[in-house]
Amino acid sequence: MRNKMTTAQHIPVSALQPQSECIIRSLGHDEKTAQRLAQMGILPGTHLRIIRVAPLGGTIEVTSGQGQSFALRQQDVAAMVCDPISMPLTSELVITGQTYRVRVLLGGKTFLKRMEQKGLREGALVQIQQTGVKHIPVYIVDMDKQIELGKGEAEKIIVEVISHESFS
Amino acid sequence: MNPSAESVTIALASIPNAGKTTLFNRLTGSAQTTGNWPGVSIEQKSGIFPLGEYSIALIDLPGAYALSPVTEEEQVVRDYFLGSPPDIILNVLDARNLHRGLGLTLQMALSGLPMVVAVNMMDETRRQGITLDLKALAQHLGVPVIEISAKTGEGLPDLKEALYEVIKHPEKTRIPHISCPPLLEKAFLQISEAIDQSNIDTRLDHSFLAMRLLETKNQVELTGNEKVAALTRKWQSRLKQSLHTSIPVACAGCRFNAARGLTMEVLGEQPIIEDKLSQRLDHIFLHRFLGLPIFVLLMFLLFQGVYGLGAPLQETLSVAFDRGGSWLSSQTMILSLSAWLQSFLFDGVWQGMAVVTSFLPIIALFFLFMSLIEDSGYIARVAFLMDRLMHKLGLDGKAFISILLGYGCNVPAVMGTRILSSSYSRILTMLLIPFTLCTARLQIFVFLTAIFFTPAIAPWIIISLYGCSFAAVILTGLVLKLFRIGGNPEPFIMEIPPYRLPTLRSVTLRTWYEMKDFLSRAATLIMAGVLIVWLLSHMPADVPPASTATWAGQLGQMLAQIFQPLGIDWQEIVALLFGFIAKEIVVGSLAVIYGGSDLAGQMNSHITPLQSISFMLFCLLYTPCIATIAAIWSESRSIRITLLSLVFGLGIAWITSFVFYQSGLLLGFH
Repeated sequence: MRNKMTTAQHIPVSALQPQSECIIRSLGHDEKTAQRLAQMGILPGTHLRIIRVAPLGGTIEVTSGQGQSFALRQQDVAAMVCDPISMPLTSELVITGQTYRVRVLLGGKTFLKRMEQKGLREGALVQIQQTGVKHIPVYIVDMDKQIELGKGEAEKIIVEVISHESFS
Repeated sequence: MNPSAESVTIALASIPNAGKTTLFNRLTGSAQTTGNWPGVSIEQKSGIFPLGEYSIALIDLPGAYALSPVTEEEQVVRDYFLGSPPDIILNVLDARNLHRGLGLTLQMALSGLPMVVAVNMMDETRRQGITLDLKALAQHLGVPVIEISAKTGEGLPDLKEALYEVIKHPEKTRIPHISCPPLLEKAFLQISEAIDQSNIDTRLDHSFLAMRLLETKNQVELTGNEKVAALTRKWQSRLKQSLHTSIPVACAGCRFNAARGLTMEVLGEQPIIEDKLSQRLDHIFLHRFLGLPIFVLLMFLLFQGVYGLGAPLQETLSVAFDRGGSWLSSQTMILSLSAWLQSFLFDGVWQGMAVVTSFLPIIALFFLFMSLIEDSGYIARVAFLMDRLMHKLGLDGKAFISILLGYGCNVPAVMGTRILSSSYSRILTMLLIPFTLCTARLQIFVFLTAIFFTPAIAPWIIISLYGCSFAAVILTGLVLKLFRIGGNPEPFIMEIPPYRLPTLRSVTLRTWYEMKDFLSRAATLIMAGVLIVWLLSHMPADVPPASTATWAGQLGQMLAQIFQPLGIDWQEIVALLFGFIAKEIVVGSLAVIYGGSDLAGQMNSHITPLQSISFMLFCLLYTPCIATIAAIWSESRSIRITLLSLVFGLGIAWITSFVFYQSGLLLGFH
């Protein structure tokens, strides 16, 4: 089912992992919550980045494109619909066989160097061939090169959706 | 101040966390009065300050994100604007993030009331090397925009001058235009035309009033005009069909579109300010594994800071009061008074003063540490960390701190509920705190378990009592949540503000105000309670105090019927009555009531261990003490909530002791 989805899929904000980014499409059906969000400046069209999940779960921290941080409850973000923009390479939303652009590499200098050696840098076009395996096979499109990444490494690689729809 | 000076009302309005309270304190100094907004348990602060030949009454409105109410606070602000529009609005914006505040600023600018915008925390943006084009902001809003720092006091003379100019030359304000979907604009126009033709008398812009009317269901209540109300309702149903969202969301969308453009213009080519320090700190404080241990450590330090430092101070104060009391009572002038009057002065009035004073050190320390946690911004992190847990009880995460501190003393814990964001959580938390096992109750339990149980068993009894207290808090929370006592929960969407270094000035000022507040509001009630209990136990005048013949003794015997199924005799009932003054004196009053030298022996022969546990359970759950009740009353500003807390505590205490004692008897214990 997932494989049939196009890149411009609408998903609940709750489906996004930390470090993912999205554009909000709708605020959900609860009128009070929607009004609260709207009055705090979170509206359809707002750019959101998922920062972290609380240690006990249930609550997430997000920042808006305007630089504000918010704590939101799982049930509220589950009702909010968004277009994903970017996500870690390990995200369930990454579709096998689809091309993504590396947006940012989160990590120290050594990590950046190691990735550079493998041919991965920001802006590179990549595809994932298989998910749910220990060593994730990654195909670097523009270099026509096949590499393998550990889960810890893949988590630090944020890729963005290359979409025919333009996001403002 | 010149009493004949013309009085001008200025309303201070902003979104939460923009530094409104700091500015309020700066402008009014100590000339503040607190009351509450009609019909709700929300504090109303106002202050007076002179401005040229005028006397300014500054009203501190509750923090609100919009004039389209979601929370009770916003309802208060909206009703204030519609009911008694101020002469001038003073709006505060946070320079670090203009966008978040501009939504409200734009909405207020539409009201047509004269307004001055103070852009606060300019010192911080300057430090980050950001310059803001506030001229552009002033041009777009059509009102004066002044840069200030409420923290340092910088820019305040300019602000005052701007306010003075607006009072002196109240020109017609130019209302900014915010573009909305055509259908909405048409609705605003038609309704405002209907208002033009009606007899509605208001200083508010009619378009603004039309917007407010479109957002509510009770238009008649707000305007008293049936014709306008009917037109509004017609538009409401029409808009409901054609808009994809509710009217307030659609309007917020329009405002924030304008706000985004405005922010970009003010910032120019500079990037949106990112707070790297806060990000780095949150990386530690909200860390997946480290976040909770650090939180536990900080809470431990907080608890120790308040009670570890507070208890010795309390001890010193009580010793001082005892000494002062015995010195006074040895004075010939006092000795010449009748014994009854002497007792009134020392066991009544002096004792009452001692009880009130004994709370001062912990309240001071509590608010000192609390302001640190709150001003630094860590409180929002606490809410984030604890939200999952507290949400189950229908509370927000900040309530955790209040409930935790209840285990030291209920009084500051109840006072601390004012940090909670909604009136719903405040009321709920206030009702839960009395079930926390405070150190005063612990003293009773330590004393009694030592009498009735072997040293091997005694600690387990106390641990079980702690368990009971946790269970009572959780179960009561669930029950209160189920029955929606305290109103309806509000959506939880919390801003996580950047960390800030608290200033000595704001922390000490806050502590000072809270202590003054405690003395002026709660103290009188505590004093009254102490005197009533004194009267009960010393009247009639010719019988020995606390004996069967006193009113208290008679009351105890009257209530004996009710307490008999719990295994509690009249002597203990009288002690419980005394415990109402302060739990610390329960043990002392038992000694007076039994009237012998060997209290432990007498109690042991009079009460069975089973009865003693039943008594302790009752002590744990019934109304904590007069000071807590006073705090609940002064925080909730509601007699209903205060009585509810009393009745609720007594009811639960009775039922628990009853079930425990009767099942103990059935199981063959005695």
